[in-house]
Amino acid sequence: MIELNGIEKIYLSKTRDVHAIGNISTIINEGEFVSIVGPSGCGKSTLLHIIAGFDEPTAGRVKVAGKTVNPGTVPSALGYIFQKDTVLPWRSVRDNISLGLQYRSTPRADIDNKVAALLKLGNLQGFEDTFPHQLSGGMRRRVALLMTLACEPKLLLLDEPFGALDTHTRTLLHKELISIWRQMRQTIILVTHDLDEAVTLSDRIIVLSRPPSRILLDQHVSIPHPRDVFSVRDTPEFAEHFRTIWKVLGQEFRDAQQPADLVGGLH
Amino acid sequence: MADVQALSLSREDRLRTVARKAFWRRFRLAFWQVGLVGLAVAIWEIGTRIPFLSKNFNVFDPFFVSRPSAIILRLYDWTFGAKAGFLWPHLEATLIATLIGLVLSVSTGFVVGLLFSQKRELAIVLNPFIVALNSLPRIAFVPLITMIFGLGLASKVVTAWFIVFFLVFFNTFKGGMAIEKELIEFCRTLGANERQITRSVRIPNALGWTFTALPNAVSFSLIGVVIAEFVGSTTGMGYLIITSLATLNSADMFAALTVLSLVGVVLVSLFKLLERRLMRWSPEFREQG
Repeated sequence: MIELNGIEKIYLSKTRDVHAIGNISTIINEGEFVSIVGPSGCGKSTLLHIIAGFDEPTAGRVKVAGKTVNPGTVPSALGYIFQKDTVLPWRSVRDNISLGLQYRSTPRADIDNKVAALLKLGNLQGFEDTFPHQLSGGMRRRVALLMTLACEPKLLLLDEPFGALDTHTRTLLHKELISIWRQMRQTIILVTHDLDEAVTLSDRIIVLSRPPSRILLDQHVSIPHPRDVFSVRDTPEFAEHFRTIWKVLGQEFRDAQQPADLVGGLH
Repeated sequence: MADVQALSLSREDRLRTVARKAFWRRFRLAFWQVGLVGLAVAIWEIGTRIPFLSKNFNVFDPFFVSRPSAIILRLYDWTFGAKAGFLWPHLEATLIATLIGLVLSVSTGFVVGLLFSQKRELAIVLNPFIVALNSLPRIAFVPLITMIFGLGLASKVVTAWFIVFFLVFFNTFKGGMAIEKELIEFCRTLGANERQITRSVRIPNALGWTFTALPNAVSFSLIGVVIAEFVGSTTGMGYLIITSLATLNSADMFAALTVLSLVGVVLVSLFKLLERRLMRWSPEFREQG
């Protein structure tokens, strides 16, 4: 369970302080797949950074599995996928996937078994000895995901992980992500600007406002599982959810078009 | 079935065409390289034999510039001819000093560069001194180095180190600073502690930047050794050059220079190969890898 309690984030700078996160409190239950959407600059990624302990909130407190997150220390059993490529270019696919297990000094034989299973899960058999630069962007994404899954995270934070991919690759990865989540039942928090993606994947969607952000809408997505990522878009439930959320989110996008100075000038 | 065969044949043919094109391209480039050398040698040889040129222009006077045929004869003398074996001790002295200087400067440059990139405060405190040292005309120190370390191997190695260290240091330092913070944060989520991050991320990342400095480092190491041999030594290719200059023996000098440039080409090519091998994970070296 993740508890966000009065989270606020202000970036101080000489010219203009940026009040990114206004005040966010919510509870995310174990095994939930939550998406966070909102206009750019609303602190979606910052929120994930704060949960992972990469960044310190200006005010408020985060608890992961009952323990308060200490900035500078990553909570245990937490996985994080960045938008940027984070595979190690000098290691082969196999050595990348086994990285987290090596950190834990797992015995060689266990590593080999686990890596073989993960390669199968990620459809990367035959690419064990390939270096990342020889893979496509989608495959590198999968390697990063497998690196994280090797550590068996209970909480998976995904920071716009599919943003840089083409639609085809993205949809395939959606499918894989859903099946992984249904097998392993981690808690997943996905930050995205793509509402289609959010509705397709998640159980619950949190819409943030323009900065300083607060929660505008906290919507349960009642589309039943198993979902087919290709056909779910055509269902009336999908359209219904999309419409409800878009009404709120679209208005925020429209309002966010105001000159940035004006928004900042309010504080 | 027949269709498949035809298709596969044409594929073979196409592969052959590609290979043939690549071969001729390499041949053409090699032809130009050999041609350029041949042209320069021909101008040199013929120019020094035309009285009008050699009498009126010092650059064509064989007293100063010798001539290719004489240089080749001298090289033969030094290796297998009249003074057989004369060259080897000098060549060996220069090569050994170059390689020791290279190993020392690359290892210290790597360690210090990595350390500075990780300890921000250390880098800020010491940076002005490094920049000041780097801006000095380092050649000016060679006589002093020779006085301190004597006429042997030590002063050559120290000179080479003094010249190459900064090159490696700055490259490694830049690489150590350029590492993406997401990469480190990601490894933290995989459970790495600081020591593990240094070993699995920071060191390999910085090493990549160090390796790309290797071909330049070996050139500069050779230059450093030869300069030290100019200033004061009793062996080495630089010693050969400076003594032949003192005795006004231009064939000796150009013979030594020829050997030196061949050594440079061979060493740099070897280290380019080594770099490519070590950096085969990098997209920059994908085509050759």
